[in-house]
Amino acid sequence: MNEDRLRRNLANWTLRIILIFFTVIFVYPFIWNLICSIKTNTEYLTDPYALPSSIHIENYVNAFKKANMGAYFLNSVYVVILSVGLLMVFVIPAAYVLARYRFKGSKVITTLYMACIFLQPTYIMIPLFLEVQKINGLNNLTVLSLVYAVMQFPFAIFTLLGFIEALPTGYEEAARIDGGTNFGILIRVVVPLCKPGIATITMLTAMGFWSEYPLALVLVTDELKRTIPIGLANLFEVQKYATDWGAMFAGLIIVLIPTLIIYLIGQKQLLQGITLGGIKG
Amino acid sequence: MKKKPTLFIAVCLIPTLLLTIGLMVIPMCNAVYLSFTDSTALSTAQTRQFIGLENYIYMFKDKSFIQALGNTMKLLLVVPVVTLFFSLIFAFLLTQSRIREKGFYRSVFFFPSVISLTVVGIIWSFVFNPTKGILNHILAFLKLENLQHAWLGESKTALWCVAAALIWQAAGYYMVMYIASIDGISEEVYEAAAIDGAGAFQKFKCITVPLLRNTIGITYVLALSGTINLSFTLSNVMTAGGPNGASSVLLQYMYTQGMRNANYGYSMSIAMFTLLMAIILAVISRKVTHNNEG
Repeated sequence: MNEDRLRRNLANWTLRIILIFFTVIFVYPFIWNLICSIKTNTEYLTDPYALPSSIHIENYVNAFKKANMGAYFLNSVYVVILSVGLLMVFVIPAAYVLARYRFKGSKVITTLYMACIFLQPTYIMIPLFLEVQKINGLNNLTVLSLVYAVMQFPFAIFTLLGFIEALPTGYEEAARIDGGTNFGILIRVVVPLCKPGIATITMLTAMGFWSEYPLALVLVTDELKRTIPIGLANLFEVQKYATDWGAMFAGLIIVLIPTLIIYLIGQKQLLQGITLGGIKG
Repeated sequence: MKKKPTLFIAVCLIPTLLLTIGLMVIPMCNAVYLSFTDSTALSTAQTRQFIGLENYIYMFKDKSFIQALGNTMKLLLVVPVVTLFFSLIFAFLLTQSRIREKGFYRSVFFFPSVISLTVVGIIWSFVFNPTKGILNHILAFLKLENLQHAWLGESKTALWCVAAALIWQAAGYYMVMYIASIDGISEEVYEAAAIDGAGAFQKFKCITVPLLRNTIGITYVLALSGTINLSFTLSNVMTAGGPNGASSVLLQYMYTQGMRNANYGYSMSIAMFTLLMAIILAVISRKVTHNNEG
Protein backbone atom coordinates (compact mmCIF):
# COMPACT_ATOMS: atom_id res chain seq x y z
CA MET A 1 0.00 0.00 0.00
CA ASN A 2 2.74 2.38 1.01
CA GLU A 3 4.77 1.54 -2.04
CA ASP A 4 1.75 2.18 -4.23
CA ARG A 5 1.31 5.62 -2.79
CA LEU A 6 4.98 6.35 -3.27
CA ARG A 7 4.74 5.39 -6.93
CA ARG A 8 1.71 7.55 -7.43
CA ASN A 9 3.44 10.45 -5.75
CA LEU A 10 6.46 10.02 -7.98
CA ALA A 11 4.26 9.92 -11.08
CA ASN A 12 2.43 13.05 -9.92
CA TRP A 13 5.67 14.92 -9.39
CA THR A 14 7.08 13.93 -12.78
CA LEU A 15 3.89 15.16 -14.34
CA ARG A 16 4.00 18.32 -12.30
CA ILE A 17 7.51 19.11 -13.49
CA ILE A 18 6.44 18.70 -17.11
CA LEU A 19 3.42 20.94 -16.58
CA ILE A 20 5.44 23.57 -14.73
CA PHE A 21 7.95 23.59 -17.58
CA PHE A 22 5.14 24.43 -20.03
CA THR A 23 3.65 26.93 -17.58
CA VAL A 24 6.96 28.78 -17.69
CA ILE A 25 6.87 28.79 -21.50
CA PHE A 26 3.36 30.22 -21.44
CA VAL A 27 3.80 32.70 -18.60
CA TYR A 28 7.39 33.91 -18.76
CA PRO A 29 6.98 36.13 -21.86
CA PHE A 30 4.16 37.97 -20.08
CA ILE A 31 6.20 38.45 -16.93
CA TRP A 32 9.20 39.64 -18.91
CA ASN A 33 6.98 42.25 -20.58
CA LEU A 34 5.46 43.28 -17.28
CA ILE A 35 8.90 43.83 -15.75
CA CYS A 36 10.09 45.76 -18.78
CA SER A 37 7.03 47.97 -18.54
CA ILE A 38 8.19 49.38 -15.21
CA LYS A 39 11.81 49.99 -16.22
CA THR A 40 13.44 53.11 -17.58
CA ASN A 41 14.83 53.03 -21.11
CA THR A 42 18.41 52.90 -19.88
CA GLU A 43 17.60 50.03 -17.58
CA TYR A 44 15.99 48.15 -20.46
CA LEU A 45 18.85 48.83 -22.82
CA THR A 46 21.65 47.91 -20.41
CA ASP A 47 20.09 44.69 -19.18
CA PRO A 48 16.55 43.68 -20.09
CA TYR A 49 16.70 40.82 -17.58
CA ALA A 50 17.66 42.68 -14.45
CA LEU A 51 14.98 43.83 -12.05
CA PRO A 52 14.27 47.57 -12.13
CA SER A 53 15.76 49.79 -9.42
CA SER A 54 12.32 51.15 -8.70
CA ILE A 55 8.86 50.97 -10.26
CA HIS A 56 8.56 53.45 -13.10
CA ILE A 57 4.86 54.12 -13.41
CA GLU A 58 5.62 57.05 -15.72
CA ASN A 59 5.87 54.57 -18.61
CA TYR A 60 2.15 54.06 -18.22
CA VAL A 61 1.52 57.78 -18.07
CA ASN A 62 3.59 58.22 -21.24
CA ALA A 63 1.75 55.41 -22.98
CA PHE A 64 -1.61 56.94 -22.12
CA LYS A 65 -0.71 60.53 -22.92
CA LYS A 66 2.14 60.73 -25.41
CA ALA A 67 1.51 57.51 -27.27
CA ASN A 68 -2.25 58.08 -27.42
CA MET A 69 -3.03 54.71 -25.84
CA GLY A 70 -5.64 56.40 -23.64
CA ALA A 71 -7.62 57.56 -26.68
CA TYR A 72 -7.23 54.18 -28.38
CA PHE A 73 -8.38 52.48 -25.20
CA LEU A 74 -11.57 54.54 -25.12
CA ASN A 75 -12.14 53.95 -28.84
CA SER A 76 -11.91 50.22 -28.26
CA VAL A 77 -14.22 50.31 -25.26
CA TYR A 78 -16.79 52.18 -27.35
CA VAL A 79 -16.46 49.71 -30.23
CA VAL A 80 -16.69 46.63 -28.00
CA ILE A 81 -19.78 47.81 -26.12
CA LEU A 82 -21.59 49.05 -29.21
CA SER A 83 -20.83 46.00 -31.33
CA VAL A 84 -21.89 43.53 -28.63
CA GLY A 85 -25.09 45.56 -28.15
CA LEU A 86 -25.84 45.66 -31.87
CA LEU A 87 -25.07 41.98 -32.20
CA MET A 88 -27.61 41.06 -29.52
CA VAL A 89 -30.32 43.40 -30.83
CA PHE A 90 -30.17 41.85 -34.29
CA VAL A 91 -29.34 38.28 -33.44
CA ILE A 92 -31.71 37.36 -30.61
CA PRO A 93 -34.97 38.06 -32.51
CA ALA A 94 -33.63 36.45 -35.69
CA ALA A 95 -32.46 33.31 -33.92
CA TYR A 96 -35.75 33.06 -32.03
CA VAL A 97 -37.84 33.27 -35.18
CA LEU A 98 -35.63 30.78 -37.01
CA ALA A 99 -35.82 28.36 -34.10
CA ARG A 100 -39.57 28.53 -33.50
CA TYR A 101 -41.25 29.02 -36.88
CA ARG A 102 -41.13 27.15 -40.15
CA PHE A 103 -41.88 29.42 -43.10
CA LYS A 104 -40.92 29.85 -46.70
CA GLY A 105 -37.18 30.45 -46.81
CA SER A 106 -36.43 29.60 -43.19
CA LYS A 107 -34.34 26.59 -44.21
CA VAL A 108 -32.42 28.60 -46.80
CA ILE A 109 -31.67 31.35 -44.29
CA THR A 110 -30.43 28.89 -41.66
CA THR A 111 -28.21 27.21 -44.26
CA LEU A 112 -26.87 30.62 -45.36
CA TYR A 113 -25.77 31.40 -41.82
CA MET A 114 -24.22 27.96 -41.37
CA ALA A 115 -22.20 28.45 -44.56
CA CYS A 116 -21.09 31.93 -43.52
CA ILE A 117 -19.57 30.65 -40.26
CA PHE A 118 -16.54 29.59 -42.25
CA LEU A 119 -16.14 32.90 -44.03
CA GLN A 120 -13.32 34.76 -42.29
CA PRO A 121 -13.55 38.57 -42.51
CA THR A 122 -9.94 38.74 -43.71
CA TYR A 123 -10.96 37.36 -47.11
CA ILE A 124 -13.46 40.15 -47.74
CA MET A 125 -11.60 43.02 -46.06
CA ILE A 126 -10.89 44.80 -49.33
CA PRO A 127 -14.43 44.69 -50.80
CA LEU A 128 -15.63 45.80 -47.36
CA PHE A 129 -13.13 48.66 -47.41
CA LEU A 130 -14.37 49.74 -50.87
CA GLU A 131 -18.01 49.49 -49.81
CA VAL A 132 -17.53 51.41 -46.57
CA GLN A 133 -15.46 54.00 -48.42
CA LYS A 134 -18.34 54.48 -50.88
CA ILE A 135 -20.78 55.34 -48.08
CA ASN A 136 -18.20 57.59 -46.39
CA GLY A 137 -17.99 55.27 -43.43
CA LEU A 138 -14.22 55.04 -43.07
CA ASN A 139 -12.81 56.26 -39.76
CA ASN A 140 -16.25 55.97 -38.21
CA LEU A 141 -16.21 53.83 -35.07
CA THR A 142 -19.98 53.31 -35.19
CA VAL A 143 -19.71 51.88 -38.70
CA LEU A 144 -16.79 49.74 -37.58
CA SER A 145 -18.91 48.39 -34.70
CA LEU A 146 -21.75 47.54 -37.05
CA VAL A 147 -19.37 45.68 -39.37
CA TYR A 148 -17.92 43.81 -36.37
CA ALA A 149 -21.41 42.84 -35.20
CA VAL A 150 -22.47 41.58 -38.63
CA MET A 151 -19.32 39.48 -38.98
CA GLN A 152 -20.39 37.59 -35.84
CA PHE A 153 -24.04 37.11 -36.92
CA PRO A 154 -23.45 33.57 -38.25
CA PHE A 155 -21.67 32.33 -35.13
CA ALA A 156 -24.14 33.99 -32.74
CA ILE A 157 -27.24 32.84 -34.64
CA PHE A 158 -25.88 29.33 -34.90
CA THR A 159 -25.16 29.17 -31.15
CA LEU A 160 -28.45 30.77 -30.05
CA LEU A 161 -30.50 28.68 -32.47
CA GLY A 162 -29.25 25.50 -30.84
CA PHE A 163 -29.87 27.00 -27.43
CA ILE A 164 -33.47 28.10 -28.11
CA GLU A 165 -34.38 24.85 -29.85
CA ALA A 166 -33.39 23.01 -26.70
CA LEU A 167 -35.71 25.13 -24.52
CA PRO A 168 -39.15 23.72 -23.71
CA THR A 169 -41.98 25.70 -25.34
CA GLY A 170 -44.18 25.48 -22.24
CA TYR A 171 -43.23 28.87 -20.82
CA GLU A 172 -43.93 30.64 -24.08
CA GLU A 173 -47.32 28.93 -24.43
CA ALA A 174 -48.28 29.81 -20.87
CA ALA A 175 -47.36 33.44 -21.50
CA ARG A 176 -49.38 33.41 -24.71
CA ILE A 177 -52.48 32.12 -22.87
CA ASP A 178 -51.99 34.97 -20.40
CA GLY A 179 -52.31 37.31 -23.38
CA GLY A 180 -48.65 38.10 -24.01
CA THR A 181 -47.72 39.57 -27.37
CA ASN A 182 -44.99 38.02 -29.48
CA PHE A 183 -42.51 40.78 -28.61
CA GLY A 184 -43.47 40.64 -24.96
CA ILE A 185 -42.84 36.91 -24.88
CA LEU A 186 -39.52 37.30 -26.67
CA ILE A 187 -38.24 39.91 -24.24
CA ARG A 188 -39.79 38.74 -20.97
CA VAL A 189 -39.73 34.97 -21.41
CA VAL A 190 -37.19 33.91 -24.03
CA VAL A 191 -34.36 36.33 -23.29
CA PRO A 192 -34.18 35.47 -19.57
CA LEU A 193 -34.19 31.76 -20.42
CA CYS A 194 -31.35 32.30 -22.92
CA LYS A 195 -29.12 34.13 -20.44
CA PRO A 196 -26.39 31.47 -20.33
CA GLY A 197 -26.18 31.35 -24.13
CA ILE A 198 -26.18 35.14 -24.34
CA ALA A 199 -23.45 35.37 -21.69
CA THR A 200 -21.25 32.93 -23.59
CA ILE A 201 -21.68 34.79 -26.88
CA THR A 202 -21.03 38.12 -25.16
CA MET A 203 -17.79 36.86 -23.60
CA LEU A 204 -16.43 35.31 -26.76
CA THR A 205 -17.35 38.12 -29.13
CA ALA A 206 -16.29 40.89 -26.73
CA MET A 207 -12.83 39.30 -26.48
CA GLY A 208 -12.75 39.01 -30.26
CA PHE A 209 -13.81 42.63 -30.84
CA TRP A 210 -11.26 43.91 -28.33
CA SER A 211 -8.49 42.13 -30.23
CA GLU A 212 -9.68 42.48 -33.82
CA TYR A 213 -6.90 43.47 -36.20
CA PRO A 214 -7.53 43.00 -39.97
CA LEU A 215 -10.78 44.97 -40.33
CA ALA A 216 -9.70 47.79 -38.02
CA LEU A 217 -6.53 48.01 -40.10
CA VAL A 218 -8.39 48.78 -43.32
CA LEU A 219 -11.52 50.56 -42.05
CA VAL A 220 -9.70 53.08 -39.83
CA THR A 221 -6.97 55.22 -41.35
CA ASP A 222 -7.24 58.29 -39.11
CA GLU A 223 -4.62 58.08 -36.37
CA LEU A 224 -6.96 59.36 -33.66
CA LYS A 225 -9.72 56.86 -34.46
CA ARG A 226 -7.54 53.78 -34.13
CA THR A 227 -8.59 50.89 -31.93
CA ILE A 228 -6.14 49.58 -29.38
CA PRO A 229 -4.68 46.58 -31.30
CA ILE A 230 -3.85 48.81 -34.27
CA GLY A 231 -2.56 51.56 -32.00
CA LEU A 232 -0.31 49.09 -30.22
CA ALA A 233 0.97 47.51 -33.45
CA ASN A 234 1.79 50.98 -34.68
CA LEU A 235 3.50 51.93 -31.45
CA PHE A 236 5.61 48.79 -31.77
CA GLU A 237 6.47 49.70 -35.36
CA VAL A 238 7.48 53.23 -34.35
CA GLN A 239 9.54 52.03 -31.37
CA LYS A 240 11.90 50.25 -33.72
CA TYR A 241 13.19 53.72 -34.65
CA ALA A 242 12.33 55.81 -31.60
CA THR A 243 13.49 55.06 -28.09
CA ASP A 244 10.60 55.01 -25.66
CA TRP A 245 10.60 51.28 -24.99
CA GLY A 246 8.97 51.61 -21.59
CA ALA A 247 5.82 53.15 -23.05
CA MET A 248 5.60 50.33 -25.61
CA PHE A 249 5.75 47.65 -22.92
CA ALA A 250 3.27 49.61 -20.83
CA GLY A 251 0.95 49.83 -23.83
CA LEU A 252 1.10 46.08 -24.21
CA ILE A 253 0.14 45.55 -20.59
CA ILE A 254 -2.68 48.09 -20.95
CA VAL A 255 -4.14 46.01 -23.80
CA LEU A 256 -3.81 42.83 -21.76
CA ILE A 257 -5.41 43.97 -18.51
CA PRO A 258 -9.08 44.05 -19.65
CA THR A 259 -8.63 40.67 -21.35
CA LEU A 260 -7.16 39.22 -18.19
CA ILE A 261 -10.01 40.58 -16.05
CA ILE A 262 -12.74 39.24 -18.35
CA TYR A 263 -10.83 35.96 -18.53
CA LEU A 264 -10.74 35.58 -14.77
CA ILE A 265 -14.43 36.45 -14.40
CA GLY A 266 -15.84 34.64 -17.39
CA GLN A 267 -13.58 31.68 -17.95
CA LYS A 268 -16.45 29.24 -17.49
CA GLN A 269 -18.53 30.88 -20.23
CA LEU A 270 -15.51 31.06 -22.53
CA LEU A 271 -14.71 27.39 -22.10
CA GLN A 272 -18.35 26.51 -22.72
CA GLY A 273 -18.47 28.67 -25.80
CA ILE A 274 -15.46 26.96 -27.31
CA THR A 275 -16.81 23.50 -26.71
CA LEU A 276 -20.09 24.62 -28.32
CA GLY A 277 -18.24 25.31 -31.54
CA GLY A 278 -15.62 27.95 -31.18
CA ILE A 279 -14.51 30.90 -33.20
CA LYS A 280 -11.35 32.88 -33.26
CA GLY A 281 -9.87 35.73 -35.15
CA MET B 1 -47.75 25.69 -35.38
CA LYS B 2 -51.09 27.38 -35.82
CA LYS B 3 -51.26 30.82 -37.37
CA LYS B 4 -47.95 32.29 -38.31
CA PRO B 5 -47.40 35.85 -37.08
CA THR B 6 -46.00 37.06 -40.40
CA LEU B 7 -45.41 40.63 -39.30
CA PHE B 8 -43.51 39.53 -36.20
CA ILE B 9 -41.32 37.18 -38.20
CA ALA B 10 -40.58 39.87 -40.75
CA VAL B 11 -39.64 42.48 -38.15
CA CYS B 12 -37.35 40.04 -36.35
CA LEU B 13 -35.63 38.71 -39.41
CA ILE B 14 -35.51 41.27 -42.21
CA PRO B 15 -33.12 43.86 -40.64
CA THR B 16 -30.68 41.11 -39.65
CA LEU B 17 -30.90 39.55 -43.07
CA LEU B 18 -30.43 42.85 -44.91
CA LEU B 19 -27.30 43.61 -42.91
CA THR B 20 -25.92 40.14 -43.57
CA ILE B 21 -26.53 40.56 -47.28
CA GLY B 22 -25.09 44.08 -47.33
CA LEU B 23 -21.95 43.41 -45.31
CA MET B 24 -21.22 39.75 -45.99
CA VAL B 25 -22.92 38.41 -49.11
CA ILE B 26 -22.41 41.44 -51.34
CA PRO B 27 -18.71 41.92 -50.38
CA MET B 28 -18.21 38.22 -51.03
CA CYS B 29 -19.83 38.49 -54.48
CA ASN B 30 -17.79 41.62 -55.14
CA ALA B 31 -14.63 39.78 -54.20
CA VAL B 32 -15.42 37.07 -56.74
CA TYR B 33 -16.35 39.63 -59.39
CA LEU B 34 -13.30 41.87 -58.80
CA SER B 35 -10.99 38.88 -59.07
CA PHE B 36 -11.92 38.64 -62.76
CA THR B 37 -11.26 42.34 -63.46
CA ASP B 38 -8.26 44.65 -63.70
CA SER B 39 -9.74 46.98 -61.06
CA THR B 40 -7.34 49.36 -59.31
CA ALA B 41 -7.76 52.47 -57.18
CA LEU B 42 -7.64 54.55 -60.37
CA SER B 43 -10.24 52.66 -62.37
CA THR B 44 -13.96 53.37 -62.05
CA ALA B 45 -16.87 51.03 -62.61
CA GLN B 46 -16.86 52.21 -66.25
CA THR B 47 -13.17 51.91 -67.01
CA ARG B 48 -12.39 48.60 -65.34
CA GLN B 49 -12.23 45.68 -67.68
CA PHE B 50 -13.38 42.14 -67.31
CA ILE B 51 -10.26 40.12 -67.99
CA GLY B 52 -11.40 36.58 -67.26
CA LEU B 53 -8.81 34.36 -65.66
CA GLU B 54 -5.86 36.63 -66.43
CA ASN B 55 -5.24 37.48 -62.75
CA TYR B 56 -5.24 33.82 -61.87
CA ILE B 57 -2.78 33.03 -64.65
CA TYR B 58 -0.53 35.96 -63.80
CA MET B 59 -0.37 34.76 -60.19
CA PHE B 60 1.77 31.80 -61.10
CA LYS B 61 4.28 33.98 -62.90
CA ASP B 62 4.50 36.32 -59.90
CA LYS B 63 7.53 35.35 -57.84
CA SER B 64 6.27 37.09 -54.69
CA PHE B 65 3.00 35.18 -54.91
CA ILE B 66 4.78 31.87 -55.35
CA GLN B 67 6.94 32.70 -52.34
CA ALA B 68 3.87 33.54 -50.22
CA LEU B 69 2.15 30.36 -51.39
CA GLY B 70 5.20 28.29 -50.52
CA ASN B 71 5.45 29.89 -47.08
CA THR B 72 1.75 29.29 -46.42
CA MET B 73 2.15 25.65 -47.46
CA LYS B 74 5.12 25.22 -45.10
CA LEU B 75 3.05 26.65 -42.24
CA LEU B 76 0.09 24.43 -43.13
CA LEU B 77 2.27 21.33 -43.12
CA VAL B 78 3.84 22.05 -39.75
CA VAL B 79 1.65 24.29 -37.59
CA PRO B 80 -1.63 22.31 -37.35
CA VAL B 81 0.12 19.00 -36.66
CA VAL B 82 2.47 20.38 -34.01
CA THR B 83 -0.27 22.46 -32.37
CA LEU B 84 -2.69 19.57 -32.14
CA PHE B 85 0.04 17.26 -30.89
CA PHE B 86 0.71 19.55 -27.94
CA SER B 87 -3.01 20.16 -27.41
CA LEU B 88 -3.67 16.43 -27.19
CA ILE B 89 -0.79 15.83 -24.80
CA PHE B 90 -1.89 18.69 -22.53
CA ALA B 91 -5.51 17.50 -22.58
CA PHE B 92 -4.49 13.93 -21.83
CA LEU B 93 -2.16 14.90 -18.98
CA LEU B 94 -4.72 17.20 -17.43
CA THR B 95 -7.63 14.77 -17.61
CA GLN B 96 -5.73 11.69 -16.48
CA SER B 97 -3.84 13.13 -13.58
CA ARG B 98 -5.13 13.55 -10.07
CA ILE B 99 -3.07 16.67 -9.45
CA ARG B 100 -4.98 19.17 -7.36
CA GLU B 101 -3.97 22.31 -9.26
CA LYS B 102 -4.79 21.05 -12.76
CA GLY B 103 -7.44 23.76 -13.22
CA PHE B 104 -4.62 26.28 -12.88
CA TYR B 105 -2.59 24.70 -15.69
CA ARG B 106 -5.66 24.61 -17.90
CA SER B 107 -6.24 28.34 -17.37
CA VAL B 108 -2.60 29.15 -18.04
CA PHE B 109 -2.37 27.10 -21.24
CA PHE B 110 -5.66 28.46 -22.53
CA PHE B 111 -4.91 32.12 -21.86
CA PRO B 112 -2.67 32.89 -24.89
CA SER B 113 -5.51 31.96 -27.24
CA VAL B 114 -7.86 34.65 -25.90
CA ILE B 115 -5.45 37.58 -26.05
CA SER B 116 -5.01 39.93 -28.97
CA LEU B 117 -2.87 38.54 -31.80
CA THR B 118 -1.12 41.90 -31.94
CA VAL B 119 0.06 41.28 -28.39
CA VAL B 120 1.15 37.74 -29.31
CA GLY B 121 3.08 39.10 -32.26
CA ILE B 122 4.86 41.73 -30.19
CA ILE B 123 5.64 39.39 -27.31
CA TRP B 124 7.20 36.91 -29.69
CA SER B 125 9.12 39.61 -31.49
CA PHE B 126 10.87 40.16 -28.16
CA VAL B 127 11.46 36.47 -27.67
CA PHE B 128 13.27 36.46 -31.02
CA ASN B 129 14.91 39.88 -30.72
CA PRO B 130 18.57 39.41 -31.73
CA THR B 131 20.18 41.52 -28.99
CA LYS B 132 17.62 41.67 -26.18
CA GLY B 133 15.59 38.57 -27.00
CA ILE B 134 14.71 35.83 -24.55
CA LEU B 135 15.75 33.01 -26.88
CA ASN B 136 19.25 34.29 -27.60
CA HIS B 137 19.63 35.07 -23.90
CA ILE B 138 18.79 31.47 -22.99
CA LEU B 139 21.19 30.18 -25.65
CA ALA B 140 23.95 32.36 -24.22
CA PHE B 141 23.17 31.10 -20.74
CA LEU B 142 23.48 27.51 -21.98
CA LYS B 143 26.77 28.40 -23.69
CA LEU B 144 25.24 27.67 -27.07
CA GLU B 145 26.22 30.99 -28.67
CA ASN B 146 26.82 29.28 -32.01
CA LEU B 147 23.09 28.55 -32.23
CA GLN B 148 22.15 32.21 -31.87
CA HIS B 149 20.45 33.85 -34.83
CA ALA B 150 18.91 37.15 -35.76
CA TRP B 151 15.71 35.04 -36.02
CA LEU B 152 13.20 37.51 -37.45
CA GLY B 153 15.92 39.20 -39.46
CA GLU B 154 17.13 36.09 -41.27
CA SER B 155 15.23 34.67 -44.21
CA LYS B 156 15.87 31.10 -43.10
CA THR B 157 14.34 31.50 -39.66
CA ALA B 158 11.74 34.30 -39.95
CA LEU B 159 8.85 32.09 -41.08
CA TRP B 160 9.48 29.59 -38.30
CA CYS B 161 9.34 32.36 -35.72
CA VAL B 162 5.84 33.13 -36.97
CA ALA B 163 5.06 29.41 -36.78
CA ALA B 164 6.25 29.25 -33.16
CA ALA B 165 4.01 32.15 -32.20
CA LEU B 166 1.06 30.50 -33.98
CA ILE B 167 1.57 27.23 -32.13
CA TRP B 168 2.07 28.93 -28.77
CA GLN B 169 -1.17 30.88 -29.03
CA ALA B 170 -3.36 28.06 -30.43
CA ALA B 171 -2.31 24.98 -28.43
CA GLY B 172 -4.44 25.82 -25.40
CA TYR B 173 -7.48 26.53 -27.53
CA TYR B 174 -7.61 23.05 -29.03
CA MET B 175 -6.65 21.59 -25.67
CA VAL B 176 -9.96 22.87 -24.31
CA MET B 177 -11.84 21.10 -27.09
CA TYR B 178 -9.96 17.88 -26.42
CA ILE B 179 -10.58 18.08 -22.69
CA ALA B 180 -14.31 18.32 -23.37
CA SER B 181 -14.15 15.27 -25.63
CA ILE B 182 -12.03 13.22 -23.25
CA ASP B 183 -14.46 14.03 -20.44
CA GLY B 184 -17.06 12.41 -22.67
CA ILE B 185 -15.14 9.11 -22.68
CA SER B 186 -16.37 6.90 -19.89
CA GLU B 187 -14.09 6.70 -16.88
CA GLU B 188 -14.58 2.90 -16.89
CA VAL B 189 -12.75 2.47 -20.17
CA TYR B 190 -9.58 3.90 -18.64
CA GLU B 191 -10.07 1.97 -15.42
CA ALA B 192 -10.49 -1.30 -17.32
CA ALA B 193 -7.31 -0.55 -19.25
CA ALA B 194 -5.47 0.20 -16.01
CA ILE B 195 -6.57 -3.14 -14.57
CA ASP B 196 -5.24 -4.83 -17.71
CA GLY B 197 -1.94 -3.17 -16.93
CA ALA B 198 -1.94 -0.40 -19.52
CA GLY B 199 0.47 2.45 -18.83
CA ALA B 200 -0.19 6.11 -19.55
CA PHE B 201 1.32 5.95 -23.01
CA GLN B 202 -0.74 2.91 -23.97
CA LYS B 203 -3.91 4.52 -22.67
CA PHE B 204 -3.14 7.59 -24.75
CA LYS B 205 -2.38 5.61 -27.89
CA CYS B 206 -5.06 2.94 -27.63
CA ILE B 207 -7.98 4.79 -26.04
CA THR B 208 -7.71 8.57 -26.24
CA VAL B 209 -6.49 8.98 -29.80
CA PRO B 210 -8.82 6.44 -31.48
CA LEU B 211 -11.91 7.60 -29.57
CA LEU B 212 -11.11 11.22 -30.34
CA ARG B 213 -10.57 10.60 -34.04
CA ASN B 214 -13.63 12.60 -35.04
CA THR B 215 -12.74 15.55 -32.79
CA ILE B 216 -9.19 15.43 -34.08
CA GLY B 217 -10.54 15.59 -37.63
CA ILE B 218 -12.66 18.65 -36.83
CA THR B 219 -9.89 20.45 -34.96
CA TYR B 220 -7.47 19.72 -37.80
CA VAL B 221 -9.79 21.48 -40.22
CA LEU B 222 -10.17 24.40 -37.78
CA ALA B 223 -6.40 24.56 -37.32
CA LEU B 224 -5.80 24.64 -41.08
CA SER B 225 -8.21 27.52 -41.54
CA GLY B 226 -6.87 29.24 -38.42
CA THR B 227 -3.29 28.99 -39.66
CA ILE B 228 -4.14 30.55 -43.02
CA ASN B 229 -6.10 33.31 -41.35
CA LEU B 230 -4.07 34.13 -38.24
CA SER B 231 -0.71 34.01 -39.99
CA PHE B 232 -1.81 37.26 -41.67
CA THR B 233 -1.85 39.24 -38.43
CA LEU B 234 1.26 37.63 -36.96
CA SER B 235 3.33 37.99 -40.09
CA ASN B 236 2.13 41.57 -40.50
CA VAL B 237 3.00 42.53 -36.92
CA MET B 238 6.20 40.52 -36.46
CA THR B 239 8.00 40.87 -39.78
CA ALA B 240 5.66 42.65 -42.23
CA GLY B 241 6.42 39.66 -44.46
CA GLY B 242 10.14 40.31 -44.44
CA PRO B 243 13.02 39.96 -44.85
CA ASN B 244 12.45 40.09 -48.61
CA GLY B 245 9.17 38.25 -48.42
CA ALA B 246 10.72 35.32 -46.54
CA SER B 247 7.83 35.27 -44.06
CA SER B 248 5.04 36.60 -46.27
CA VAL B 249 1.88 34.52 -46.39
CA LEU B 250 -1.01 34.46 -48.87
CA LEU B 251 -3.45 36.77 -47.07
CA GLN B 252 -0.67 39.15 -46.23
CA TYR B 253 0.36 39.34 -49.88
CA MET B 254 -3.30 39.90 -50.71
CA TYR B 255 -3.30 42.83 -48.26
CA THR B 256 -0.10 44.27 -49.72
CA GLN B 257 -1.45 44.07 -53.26
CA GLY B 258 -4.85 45.46 -52.28
CA MET B 259 -4.10 48.17 -49.74
CA ARG B 260 -0.50 49.17 -50.50
CA ASN B 261 -0.50 48.83 -54.30
CA ALA B 262 -4.29 49.31 -54.72
CA ASN B 263 -4.48 46.43 -57.23
CA TYR B 264 -7.97 45.43 -56.12
CA GLY B 265 -8.58 42.95 -58.94
CA TYR B 266 -5.34 41.07 -58.51
CA SER B 267 -5.60 41.20 -54.73
CA MET B 268 -9.06 39.62 -54.82
CA SER B 269 -7.92 36.83 -57.10
CA ILE B 270 -5.34 35.99 -54.43
CA ALA B 271 -8.08 36.04 -51.77
CA MET B 272 -10.31 33.74 -53.82
CA PHE B 273 -7.43 31.41 -54.54
CA THR B 274 -6.67 31.22 -50.81
CA LEU B 275 -10.32 30.66 -49.89
CA LEU B 276 -10.64 27.90 -52.48
CA MET B 277 -7.45 26.29 -51.22
CA ALA B 278 -8.76 26.42 -47.63
CA ILE B 279 -12.06 24.80 -48.65
CA ILE B 280 -10.36 22.05 -50.66
CA LEU B 281 -7.94 21.26 -47.83
CA ALA B 282 -10.83 21.16 -45.35
CA VAL B 283 -12.85 18.79 -47.54
CA ILE B 284 -9.87 16.49 -48.11
CA SER B 285 -8.94 16.28 -44.44
CA ARG B 286 -12.56 15.63 -43.43
CA LYS B 287 -12.75 12.83 -46.02
CA VAL B 288 -9.55 11.26 -44.73
CA THR B 289 -10.59 11.27 -41.07
CA HIS B 290 -14.06 9.96 -41.93
CA ASN B 291 -12.74 7.07 -44.01
CA ASN B 292 -10.44 5.98 -41.24
CA GLU B 293 -13.40 5.84 -38.93
CA GLY B 294 -15.44 3.38 -40.94
